[in-house]
Amino acid sequence: MSEPSAPMLEIRDLHARVGGQPVLKGVSLSVRAGEVHAIMGPNGSGKSTLAYVLAGRPGYEVISGSASFEGRDLLALAPEERARAGLFLGFQYPVEIPGVNNAYLLKTALNAARREHGLAELDAFEFLALVRSKTQLMHIDESFLGRGVNEGFSGGEKKRNEILQMLVLEPKLALLDETDSGLDIDALKVVANGVNSLRCAERCIVLVTHYQRLLDHVVPDFVHVLARGRIVRSGDRTLALELERRGYDWLSEQAAA
Amino acid sequence: MSATATAVRASVLDRVLRDYRSIAEDLPGDALAHAARARAAAQLSELGWPSVRDEQWRYANLRAFERLDAFRPPAAVGAALALALPAAELPAAVPGFERLIYLDGVRVDGAQPQLAGTAGNAGEPAAAWHWSAEQRLGLLCDMFAGDTARLHVHGQAAIEILFMTSERAAGAAVYPRLQLQLEPGSELKLIERHLGAAAAPALVACNVTIELARAAVLTHYRLQHYGRHTLFADNLWARLAEQARYTVRSVAVGAGTARTSARVQLAGRGAALAWQAIAVGRGEQVHDTALKVEHSAPDTSTEELFRGIADERARIAFSGHIHIEASAPGSQARQSLRGLIEGAQAEIDLRPRLEIQTDEVKAAHGATTGRLDEDLLFYMLARGLDRQTARALLKWAFLSDVLREIELPALRTEAERLAAGQLQDVQAVGALS
Repeated sequence: MSEPSAPMLEIRDLHARVGGQPVLKGVSLSVRAGEVHAIMGPNGSGKSTLAYVLAGRPGYEVISGSASFEGRDLLALAPEERARAGLFLGFQYPVEIPGVNNAYLLKTALNAARREHGLAELDAFEFLALVRSKTQLMHIDESFLGRGVNEGFSGGEKKRNEILQMLVLEPKLALLDETDSGLDIDALKVVANGVNSLRCAERCIVLVTHYQRLLDHVVPDFVHVLARGRIVRSGDRTLALELERRGYDWLSEQAAA
Repeated sequence: MSATATAVRASVLDRVLRDYRSIAEDLPGDALAHAARARAAAQLSELGWPSVRDEQWRYANLRAFERLDAFRPPAAVGAALALALPAAELPAAVPGFERLIYLDGVRVDGAQPQLAGTAGNAGEPAAAWHWSAEQRLGLLCDMFAGDTARLHVHGQAAIEILFMTSERAAGAAVYPRLQLQLEPGSELKLIERHLGAAAAPALVACNVTIELARAAVLTHYRLQHYGRHTLFADNLWARLAEQARYTVRSVAVGAGTARTSARVQLAGRGAALAWQAIAVGRGEQVHDTALKVEHSAPDTSTEELFRGIADERARIAFSGHIHIEASAPGSQARQSLRGLIEGAQAEIDLRPRLEIQTDEVKAAHGATTGRLDEDLLFYMLARGLDRQTARALLKWAFLSDVLREIELPALRTEAERLAAGQLQDVQAVGALS
């Protein structure tokens, strides 16, 4: 029997606060390469905080505990170093940056990661060829590349653009924060297609979501429920279905007890 | 101690008038021109030198002006000197534009060609403008200027004017003057560029007066990149008849101290102004603009866009006063003023002001000053961009509202180069567009 592989992401007893308020109160989670985990929970349970803490957002302060990524201390790295190491955060509310061209941002990001891994940078033509195939998959009009980052995009377009960026950057750990919120059913399928296209044995995906509907399309290996800053229950995808039936209250009450 | 110093040293106004009197008779021009100079001197002495106690001058670096010693222009240069101008020092030509060169305030590009669409130097126009107290530094140029770029446009024209300064003018003052008159339906694209030697001169006081007749269209690009030892007093007056359109696209990065006092009168129905300006300061630079727009006819419109970045200890101020008079129903005014503070000791003061005396107007204004948006910065870091690149891109993006309006590629590249030269991170990152 072979040893199970070491976790790609290992979070141990993580405590964090935002604006002086404790939000994460002892989160532990192991995610191995090839796995898809869903983190669900009611509003205010700390789901987005967990995503931001892992990505290194300023103002999200770790009090204690640890998080490692491929054996490296994730929390010791600057946000840009985490990204170049292979962590990708898909934002719940992607910002608009008028004046910074979408394609320019993406090419700069890709080449930063390639330099980090000792690969040659892509020139404009190679980049365009790469990104073009991904825009088709994400049903994004190519003209969007020439516009400012998310400038004037609808909510759904912004989310699709996040996934487009992920497809181009090919992270090892994709952390998607409520990527399904605000999407109609067609857009949800496009986004789910994009996410599924990245599933492979060398990569792990963590989906942060409030609703289970995304999980109909991106089927997780594990489901965790975060309530009041802790993971209060873990299971397989049937847990998500149970949550849909029963809501979160019964688990929140257990967490409070 | 300061009282003693004041008693010993003549006031700046006294120094101006003393210099004027000492050379008045030697200044060029006929009796009418001399009379006009004398009127300007009399008006300035009546108004007095501006004071920071006056709201319109509060953010101007008047102290720098008060330190000036010499208001005399340098001895006249001949065309011979101009020929000695090394071509390398001249900015690259902009395709399709005819070029006029003024060195230390005097035209030096040799011949007097008949420019397409213009009537050349056609006599003194009626002095329709009048420098108000807010623009009183315009009187300096009227007192001392030895030459005037006078363009009378009918038809279409594209002209670039270089107002250059040389080291000869170190310790002296230079007075560029530009008078534009556009006939009905005529169209002018004008590049007005101010540049010069690092060491010189002490003062550049420039007057621009513009009259746009019915349906005339002027697109006016202004680039200012004087050396840091120069004080730049810039005065602009424009009057628009019905359906005339005036667009200003301005990039100011130079001079130690720069003050622009501008007044635009929308005097005919449907006249429209678009004022789009960038100022980027660093070190000890002080840039101050006071723009007053007067809507006095129906259906007139103003669009004002200002973006300022202050790095290190620089100070940038923009005061945009829009007055919609009772005689201007149906008018529109939009103001968007934004400042980005980069340096720990930098300062930005934006003062939007809408004064409306009629109903039936559409007006909106916004003014915000702050540091780089942390949310935007984090987004870019989370994509793996290094901090320097991310900051550079955001600063660039901040200026892009104005830069992307410059539709002439060669000029836009030049404007971008000037802006990037003031932003350290942007230089390090290299070409961004």
